[in-house]
Amino acid sequence: MPFPTKARTLLAAVAMALATASGALADKIELLDAAPEDALVVNIDKMKYETPEITIKAGDAVTWTNQEVMPHNVHFLAGVVADEAVKGTMLKKDESWSARFNEPGTYDYHCTPHPFMRGKVVVE
Amino acid sequence: MTEGQRAAAEAAAQLAAGEADEPVILNAPEPDTRRVYIQDPAHFAAVTQQFVIDGDTGRVIGMTDGGFLPHPVAAEDGSFFAQASTVFERIARGKRTDYVEVFDPVTFLPIADIELPDAPRFLVGTYQWMNALTPDNKNLLFYQFSPAPAVGVVDLENQQFDRMLDVPDCYHIFPASPTVFYMNCRDGSLARVDFADGETDVTNTEVFHAENELLINHPAFSLRAGRLVWPTYTGKIFQADLTEDAASFREPFEALTEQERADGWRPGGWQQTAYHRPSDRIFLLVDQRDEWRHKTASRFVVVIDAATGERIAKLEMGHEIDSINVSQDAEPLLYGLSAGDKTLYIYDAESGEELRSVDQLGHGPQIITTHDMDA
Ligand SMILES: [Cu+2]
Repeated sequence: MPFPTKARTLLAAVAMALATASGALADKIELLDAAPEDALVVNIDKMKYETPEITIKAGDAVTWTNQEVMPHNVHFLAGVVADEAVKGTMLKKDESWSARFNEPGTYDYHCTPHPFMRGKVVVE
Repeated sequence: MTEGQRAAAEAAAQLAAGEADEPVILNAPEPDTRRVYIQDPAHFAAVTQQFVIDGDTGRVIGMTDGGFLPHPVAAEDGSFFAQASTVFERIARGKRTDYVEVFDPVTFLPIADIELPDAPRFLVGTYQWMNALTPDNKNLLFYQFSPAPAVGVVDLENQQFDRMLDVPDCYHIFPASPTVFYMNCRDGSLARVDFADGETDVTNTEVFHAENELLINHPAFSLRAGRLVWPTYTGKIFQADLTEDAASFREPFEALTEQERADGWRPGGWQQTAYHRPSDRIFLLVDQRDEWRHKTASRFVVVIDAATGERIAKLEMGHEIDSINVSQDAEPLLYGLSAGDKTLYIYDAESGEELRSVDQLGHGPQIITTHDMDA
């Protein structure tokens, strides 16, 4: 997209839910419209996240890029990065999905149609 | 004389004798080894039916309603049958409810209705062993695919959902004891899962098949014998004997001859494999087909000695058959179900002679279940 990188909080429904709940999870993750220059990259290829465990600093962004024609995504279960599940869009070949992690913790994820594809983001 | 002619003559005799008509709700005959259940997934319709048939006479003796892609099970001792089902508040949309229903085998009344929390059922074309009863009939085990592989334990004795068991990336459920079952894993091994005492202990067997040996979705399994019979797309048969302690693999063999395979013979259909426990025989649906037409119907069944791998018979079914099973008595019936014809063809398993048939079995009947009652 020709727009500058713009941080967008979660889907409206999730944000609403968080606002009325504790709000503690609201800042754990921000979904990004485009891949920031300095994002750490997790490539997806051959039915795997190539770096299944990635360690970053709070405030760093991660970009997942699918290298193969088999569609994949990134899916955090409810309660991991927000009260609700965060189910990333399916990525076709060469497409990316990015998120910024603001709070230390370990965040497990998987690919929705391929539950055997698993990864984690460790935020220090 | 057909069933309809017999009933007409009986009614005429009653009328002539001046006997009044007293309409009542009938009970089904007591379950026996020749009772057969035909589940109709109805090509993914939101609601479905199961037909209960007396294989001896070819009579429909009852029916059960189900929701979306329900999974049928039948206690081997005939004490009940059950299903895991899914309904929605507005036919095919709205709030989803997954539940397990247990039915009295004679009245067909539901004697338990147990809700499964968080809609955990794997919605998939029905595979006979994706769900199972434990051999003591105290628990029903069902599979969850998403968001992570898991097996749900439903306590039938106390009529309540027990818990989900985290399992590795494995599929299907083959119970070997009240608290141990096996699954087939992506890595080519079986997982042994022990869920005794509130724990979940998982171990894996050795890898027993190569990555290019594609095991079909419809293995045969005998809860009573612990025998697992698992064909590949080419008809190579892997077998394992599952006990509470371990799985022991048998030497695999080919169900089809080298010449047949050269001539394009391959297994194909839906429930393609049956195992007759008393005679230790394997039945496999086969026909000449392209490699990637493994879900089309077949017109032949090969019968194989499971101990030696030797061919006993090659039966010509005379119809386009998608699913097979056998009764577990000494002189078994061979059931051949055609989803296209919506008809169950009933054969003598020894000779392959077609004895009778039952038609109008829903929209696309696919799953055949029996009771293995002669323990
Ligand atoms: Cu994937």
